[in-house]
Amino acid sequence: MSFITIKKETIKGSILFLSIILISFFSGKQFLQMHKKDIIIQGPGISSKVKLSVYFPLLKGTPGDTDVYVFKGKEEGGNLLILGGTHPNEPAGFLTAIILIENIHVDKGKVFIIPQANHSGFTHNDPHEGNPQRFPIQTPEGIRWFRYGSRLTNPVHQWPDPVLYVNPSGQKLSGAESRNLNRCYPGKAKGNLTERIAFGITNLIKKEQIDLAIDLHEAAPEYPVINAIVFHENSAELAALVYMELQMEGFEFRLEASPKNLRGLSHREWGDTTKVKAILLESANASHGRLKGKPSVALIIDGKDKNYVKASRIGRLFVPFDEKGIPLKVRVGRHVAAIKAFLSNLQEVELGKGIDITNFPSAREIIEHGTGIYLEPPK
Amino acid sequence: MKKIILSIFILHFFIVSALLGQEKKDEVINIFEQPILITSAGQSAEVQIASVLAKRAGLSAALSKAAFANELKGIRTLVIVLGVSLKGLGAAGLDISQETNRVQILVDDAQRKNIPILCLHLGGETRRGQLTDDLINTFLPFSKMAIVVESGNKDGLFTSICKENHIPLIVVERAVDALQPLKKAFK
Ligand SMILES: [Zn+2]
Repeated sequence: MSFITIKKETIKGSILFLSIILISFFSGKQFLQMHKKDIIIQGPGISSKVKLSVYFPLLKGTPGDTDVYVFKGKEEGGNLLILGGTHPNEPAGFLTAIILIENIHVDKGKVFIIPQANHSGFTHNDPHEGNPQRFPIQTPEGIRWFRYGSRLTNPVHQWPDPVLYVNPSGQKLSGAESRNLNRCYPGKAKGNLTERIAFGITNLIKKEQIDLAIDLHEAAPEYPVINAIVFHENSAELAALVYMELQMEGFEFRLEASPKNLRGLSHREWGDTTKVKAILLESANASHGRLKGKPSVALIIDGKDKNYVKASRIGRLFVPFDEKGIPLKVRVGRHVAAIKAFLSNLQEVELGKGIDITNFPSAREIIEHGTGIYLEPPK
Repeated sequence: MKKIILSIFILHFFIVSALLGQEKKDEVINIFEQPILITSAGQSAEVQIASVLAKRAGLSAALSKAAFANELKGIRTLVIVLGVSLKGLGAAGLDISQETNRVQILVDDAQRKNIPILCLHLGGETRRGQLTDDLINTFLPFSKMAIVVESGNKDGLFTSICKENHIPLIVVERAVDALQPLKKAFK
């Protein structure tokens, strides 16, 4: 009798053990999928591709090192830096950067584009959020997939978090913010990985004498700084000109000054520690928000969500939100339109700092026909 | 015949009132003098837009987002750009009651010195809400004229305050459209 019981338990135990092994194996495999890199195709206008570690050698070989795409015009002019993927769960910024990389030609001035500013953040994706690991973009000749990462640096690359994080500008924040690239500026040479990435980017701005730097983001529709142009006070006039130009083109934005007491953010520290005109752009991403329903690929791409429609109706949102949602193509289109408006007005406030770009994707075309029309076919 | 006379009379009445309406619109020409001090009520970034517009209009204007009464020296017109931004207030190190006090002191001083006030609301409907509305209710009645972006006046708040206080109100579609009326309003 007892013999049979033991045997039964052994069998039960073995099954359980085997299941755990199998689950671990498959979930581990799934988990490691996030380390598979995104394919970014070098467009015809690229002059060179360098690593961020060129500007800060201590980053070399670390998961924080990332690609910088450089476009040099024949004529001297202004220098522009565009950052996507500061927060890898904000795909509009990342995708805008990729679309520019795969299309533009620079005739005058220099353009630097970093599509995955926090490269480590692309290697995991906050499992508790339940977001898909990747999202597809339909190009005319097939589907391309891109990672939907995390707001923060991968804890595998930077661990443990302090209880209280004091950032390089002296502001006290919650511990996890030590892995938020947009709280770590101007960075620290001997700091943690995220602070080193920030330090590398600040060094690039200094070394390349960047005139205008634009950090591309997305935020939840319930967040007050949304569909916004956030500007450092050194670029107030430029931002106001851009706001009006965008309005003339039918794009409504919210103009927000960078608060002086909010430290560690790109639009504050870039402007304070270098001569650059520092700008941050926000679009509205429902998959980012706390009110969203089921996370899905469709939510990322189409941006439709019943809960947000309801929230909008009762006046809880800072951006119009109806049944049509706010699709990725609209969010990317807005970023593209804003970047273009900044370029067309830069010359006006900084004589001789003009940047001429040809083959600049059209915001209206993107909004109408989707982002895929400006992406190279999958390889 | 009586009917025709009556019709002509009515038609005449409409034409005259239309002309009078036109004249009323013309009242906002050349009513302000320079130099101008541009300040914010609520610290929203639209104050920057006002500054750019003034520059474009070729006006001699100084921008002081959180101006104090001593800055009114030599100023002939005070421009107040209405709109609350919590981020902006935080950046200026002010809370809403401190901001309201500051503007109140400025407005009082301008009144004492006979400096006319021009109120602008350029942020549209996204720059409305209780805090902004409080400032509109408090300070708009002191102005000699107001220019607002249409979507910010959807509920007619500006229309009703201006009507009540006999303030000429110019409604424009977009912030950039405020340029012409602004230009015309100054000598
Ligand atoms: Zn962000």
